[in-house]
Amino acid sequence: MEDHIRTHFPPPTKDITGALGVIEDMTEGTFVSDITGRTDRENLPVIFGAGGPLLKQFDQSAASSRKGSQAPTPPRSVVGIGNKVAKPDYSEAKIVLAMVGLPARGKSYLSNKLTRYLKWLEYDVQVFNVGQLRRSRARQKALQSGIREDHTSVYFSHNNVEATRAREKLSEDSLEMLINWLKKGGNVGIHDATNSTRSRRASIEERVKQEKGIQVIFLESVCNDPAVIAANIALKVSSGDPDYKDLPKEVAERDFIRRIKEYEAVYETITEPHLSYLRITDVGNEVTLSRINGYLQSRIAFYLMNLHVKPRNIFMSRHGESQFNVEGKIGGDALLSPRGMEYARALPDLIRKHVGDAPLTVWTSTLQRTIQTAQDLPYPKLTWKSLDELDAGVCDGMTYEEIELAYPEDFANRDEDKFNYRYRGGESYRDVVVRLEPVIMELERQENILIVGHQAILRCLYAYFHDLSQVDLPYIKIPLHTVIKLTPKAYGCDEERYTLPIGAVDTHRPKPKAPQVPLPHAHSGREYYAKDV
Amino acid sequence: MGVKTHVVSLGDYRRKTLGGAQKLPPDYFSIGEKSPETLALRKKVSDGCENIIWEFFEGGGQVVIYDANNGLRKNRQALAEKFDKLGIHVIMLESICDNKEIIETNIRNVKISSPDYRGWDQDQAVEDYYGRIRLREQAYETIEETEWPYIRIFNVGEKIMVNKIRGYLQSRVVFFLMNIHNRFRMIYFARSGQSLIEHSYKADSDLSPAGWEYSERLKESVLERRAKSLEQRGYDPKERRLVIWTSTRRRAHHTAWPFLTSAGESSPRVKVIEKPQMCEINPGVWDGLTPDQARKFYPEEWARFVKDPYAFRAPRAESYHDLSVRLEPILIELEREKEDLLIIGHSSVIRCLLAYLIGLPASEIPAIEVARGDLLEVVPTSYGVHSQAFHFWDGPGRRVDAADGEVELGHLSNRDENNFYENYAEDTKGKKITPSDLATHRNGVEQTVVAET
Repeated sequence: MEDHIRTHFPPPTKDITGALGVIEDMTEGTFVSDITGRTDRENLPVIFGAGGPLLKQFDQSAASSRKGSQAPTPPRSVVGIGNKVAKPDYSEAKIVLAMVGLPARGKSYLSNKLTRYLKWLEYDVQVFNVGQLRRSRARQKALQSGIREDHTSVYFSHNNVEATRAREKLSEDSLEMLINWLKKGGNVGIHDATNSTRSRRASIEERVKQEKGIQVIFLESVCNDPAVIAANIALKVSSGDPDYKDLPKEVAERDFIRRIKEYEAVYETITEPHLSYLRITDVGNEVTLSRINGYLQSRIAFYLMNLHVKPRNIFMSRHGESQFNVEGKIGGDALLSPRGMEYARALPDLIRKHVGDAPLTVWTSTLQRTIQTAQDLPYPKLTWKSLDELDAGVCDGMTYEEIELAYPEDFANRDEDKFNYRYRGGESYRDVVVRLEPVIMELERQENILIVGHQAILRCLYAYFHDLSQVDLPYIKIPLHTVIKLTPKAYGCDEERYTLPIGAVDTHRPKPKAPQVPLPHAHSGREYYAKDV
Repeated sequence: MGVKTHVVSLGDYRRKTLGGAQKLPPDYFSIGEKSPETLALRKKVSDGCENIIWEFFEGGGQVVIYDANNGLRKNRQALAEKFDKLGIHVIMLESICDNKEIIETNIRNVKISSPDYRGWDQDQAVEDYYGRIRLREQAYETIEETEWPYIRIFNVGEKIMVNKIRGYLQSRVVFFLMNIHNRFRMIYFARSGQSLIEHSYKADSDLSPAGWEYSERLKESVLERRAKSLEQRGYDPKERRLVIWTSTRRRAHHTAWPFLTSAGESSPRVKVIEKPQMCEINPGVWDGLTPDQARKFYPEEWARFVKDPYAFRAPRAESYHDLSVRLEPILIELEREKEDLLIIGHSSVIRCLLAYLIGLPASEIPAIEVARGDLLEVVPTSYGVHSQAFHFWDGPGRRVDAADGEVELGHLSNRDENNFYENYAEDTKGKKITPSDLATHRNGVEQTVVAET
C-alpha cells in the first residue's frame, strides 16, 4: 500500500506479465499509430470489438491472471463474446391476489392484464378462476354420469343453500390448488372469484395465514359506469360462454343480470382496515391502496393505477432498411439505405390511412435510423433512449458470419438460449425487457402511439401484448417495411399487419438445427375452462 | 430525476418574514375572530408564498410542493382555482395520521427542532405544538371533494387513496409516495475494484489481482463499519440483513464475491442482487479512447461535452441525464428497501444516486468525486441524510493524482486506467465536488469525512 503514488497496475508478478504486456500493446502500440493519421471517423476501429484481434489476444494472455481471489470457487472468468446469464431469484415472492367484485366489473380483465405484465417480467403467474373450475367440473360430471347441473341464476342465489355450499367448496378447492402451486415455485396466484362478502375474505385470510412466506392482497374492481357494465354483459353473453351456450341471447342476458342481482344482494365492499387491499374504481379513475407493502405488491399497484380502457391502437414499425441491414451487420448507428428512405417517405400515407384524424404520438429511439424513418410523419414525436436497439457489446458492427468465424463456440451458445444470452459488454434480451418496463408503463397510460423501433425492442414489446413466452420471444418475426397494428381488447390484442411493397433484406434468423415451431397463435378470446382440473 | 422542483414551505416563509413563534401575535394560530393585524400578517405570508410559486413556474420550473396546512375546503378551492386558471395542474396531497405514537415521535423528532422553538424547554415546546394542532383540528376539513385530483396518505403510507391522477409526473409522484418509509436503515456506497482493462466499457473485464484484494478489504471494512455504527445506535448487526446491489458488469458483482463466499462465519445474512440498470454510463463511440484521442477525433463533441457534461450525449453514448432516467427505478427501490444496503457501483452511478440522496442539483452530478477506496455511509433521517466517508484502501486503482492534487489528462493518457467519460470528475481540472464539499451544499445535513487507515 506504500506504492500508491504512481502505480497503475500491481507490480508485475510472474503470472500477470502476459496480461500487462497486451494492455500496453493495446494502449500505446500498434493501435495508436494506426489511427493517428486518419480523420475518417466512420472507420475508427472499435478497440475492444470482437472483430479485432485484441480481445482474443487479451483473453488468452490474461487467462492465468485471475487467481487473485482467495475465494475457494472464484467466479467464472470472462472470455469470448458473451455468455448465458441466470434468471434473477424470485423465490421469495409468493403472493395470493384475491379478486373482489361483482360479475361484469372487469375482474378478469384486470387479472389478465396483470398476468401478462408479470409473466413478461418473468414472474410465475397463474390465474385460478373459480368459474372455469365450476364449468370444467360440471362438464366432467355431465360426461361421466350424464347429469347436467343447473348453472342458471338460481344456482347463484344466496338462498339456494345447497348451491351456495357447492360454490364455497369450489372457491376453497381453487384456493387450495393455488397455494399448492405457490409452494411448488409459483410467484403470484390470482384467485379469480367474486369474494364478495366479509366472511369469504376472512376465510381466505385465515387460510393463507397458515402458510409461512405467503401474503394475500385483495384487488377490488368497482365499476359505476352503467355503459361499461352493459358492454361487459353484452360481451359475456355473446362471446360463447358455455353457461349460455344453448340459450337465446335475450334469455341469457336476462339470466346473467339476475345472477348479478343475486350477488349484489350480499355484496360488501372492502372496508376491513387490517386487510392489505387495492380498490380500483372505473379502471384507474380512483384508486385506494391500503397496507400495500413489499416490492412486488407496489409494482402491481403502480401497474394497475396506470391502466385505462379507452379504445386505442398501438402501431409498431421497424426503421426502414438501413445500410447495416444491407451489409448484414448488427448494431451500429447507420443511416437508411435508399430503399429504407423510400419506406420513410411512404410511411406517412399508410399511417394517415389507418389513423385518420385521431391524435397520434410517434416514439423513436435515439438512433439515426429510427429518427430518419419518422422524419416525414406529421405528428408529435418523442425520442426514447430506452428504445435503442439491444446492445451487442463487442459484436456491435459485425456480421453474424464474422462472429461465427471468430467465435464459433460462443455463437452456438447464443442460439441455445437466446433470451438469456448476454453479449460481452452488451445486453441480453432479459436486460432489454428490464429496460423497457418503464416504456410499457407509459404505453399503458397513453392512447394512439406509433413506435418506430428496432427488431429486438419490438419483439419484447410485441411479446408483452401477445403474452408470448421468453423462449419464443427472440424468434418473433418482425419484418422490415411492415406496420403492425395492435388493438387492445378485453382479453388480449387484435392484430393487423400492413406490408409496403418496398423490398428489404430479411434480418430474421430462425433458430438453427431446430424445426421451425409456429409461434402460438395470438388470440383475444376468453378461456372458459381451467387448463388442468 | 432532473425535474425542476421547488419546495415552498409556508412555515419557513413565515419564520423568514415574521420571525419565530415568540414574535407572533397570540391569535396567529387560533381560529375564530382574529385581529385585523393578524389577518393582514397571515395574508401577507400566504400571498408571498403564492408569488414565489408563480415566479418559479415562470422561470421554467415543473413541480412546486406547497408545504402548508390548507385544511379548509374553501381555502383549497380558492387555491386550486387560482392556479388552474394559470394553467398549472394542482394535486392535493393530504396526510392523515390517527396513530398517536407516530404523531408523538414526529413532534419530538422533527417539529420541536424547528427554529420556532429554538431555546424552548422540550416538553413545553411539545405542549405548545399540541396546542396548535388541537386548534386546527376543530376546523379541519378532510378532502372529500372530488373535482381536483388528490392523494390522501394515512399513517405515513399505511393506506393511500388516489383520485383522478393523470399524466406521467403525477403518477410518478404517487408511486414514489407509496414507496417511502421511515424505518431506520443504513446505506453504504463503494466503487467496484480495479479491473484488468479499466478504460473499456465493452471488454467488461475481470478484476485485476489488486481488484480482488480490494474486494476482500471492502468486505472487511463494510462489516466492521456497519457493526460499529449499528451498535452505536443500539441495534444488533446480527439480527439485520445486508442486501448488496451490484450491476451486471463483472467488475462490480465480482467485487461482491467475498461477501458470498464467506457466508456462515461471523458475517451477517447477505443477499447479492445484480441489477442491469446499474451498469456504468455508456461511453458510446468514446469507448476505450483516451481523452486525447477523443478530443482529436471528436473535437466538436468534445467541446460540447466539456461545456455541459450533464446533458451532452456523445454519439451512441449515454448522457448523465440518460443515466439518471435509467436509474429512476433504482431510486424508487432504494426508497423502498428496508434492509441495510451496500451498493457496489461505478462512479457515474454512485454520483447520480448520491446526488439524489443528498439533494444536489442535477447539473452538478458529473462533478461529484467518488474515489475508489472510500466507503460512504449514508443514514437517512427525516430532514435529509447524514453521511460520512471512510477511507479504507490505498492500493492500485485508487485515483492517481499529480503532486498538486490535480490529474493531468495528457500525462496519464497512455496508460489511463480510468475511463475518462465514466470518471469525469476525477479526470478534469474543472470544478469537482469532493465528499467534504458536499456538506456546504445543504444546510442542516451533517457531513463528516473520517480518514481511517
